[in-house]
Amino acid sequence: MEYVQRTLKELDIEPDRVQMYNLSSAQGPRFAEIATEMTEKVMEMGPSPMRPATC
Amino acid sequence: MIIADRKPLEEIQDMVKECDKVMLVGCKGCVTVCNAGGLKEVQILASILRIARKKEGRPLEVEEKMLERQCDPEYIEQLRDSYDQYDAVLSMACGVGPQFLSEAYPSQRFFPTVNTKFMGGAVQHGIWEERCAGCGTCVIHLFDGLCPIARCSKSIQHGPCGGSADGKCEVSPEIECIWDSIVRKKMEQGRLDDLRKYREAKDWRTARDGGPRKSIREELVQ
Repeated sequence: MEYVQRTLKELDIEPDRVQMYNLSSAQGPRFAEIATEMTEKVMEMGPSPMRPATC
Repeated sequence: MIIADRKPLEEIQDMVKECDKVMLVGCKGCVTVCNAGGLKEVQILASILRIARKKEGRPLEVEEKMLERQCDPEYIEQLRDSYDQYDAVLSMACGVGPQFLSEAYPSQRFFPTVNTKFMGGAVQHGIWEERCAGCGTCVIHLFDGLCPIARCSKSIQHGPCGGSADGKCEVSPEIECIWDSIVRKKMEQGRLDDLRKYREAKDWRTARDGGPRKSIREELVQ
């Protein structure tokens, strides 16, 4: 994960866009929690630099 | 084996800045063992190049290919039908690979993506150290298995220079003073007198100093 984040940083992409979480398939509510957390985080960072603005 | 490290991304991206379609060729030899140019590294670099170019809005097509080795013509031959379909070909093999490829396919441009460093081995997972300088006249038995040509910063052959501190070389505290180790070992083994024996000066002609070298095994040449 560290390697991926370091590489993203080199490519000028926010490293926090990729995160690794550990949980079991039985942990439904925790999964929902994580999904919300990531969504909020990504929304704060704005559109991914991988989607160049088309105008 | 040969130890190499991948070049900085910026340098590689610069090499392909005018290309739209490239092939990235890895090697299952030394660079696989030192995790610089094997299958995984090819896949990773190909991904990185695609992501970087997609971000720029100028997509780059990267074909991934693995060769057994890039230092034998029979493996280089395997690219004969495909090498010319790309704007450039990047090799993840040691310095020998891109050269063999260039010789076999003169019309194509081949780029190195790793910096070939030295001959060495793994001292720990992920850490490789230089052990052999390829001097062509191996006499490590005179030094109890420790090579001063490769492991002494000054390649001194008669004894320590006196610049070491706490067993570390004056060039860098990360470099072991190999003469410190050689003398200690000789003392432990009771062979310190070996270092007092007269030896002729080393013939450096068998090393890189004598020019590019060739090795011929007569009985195998057809």
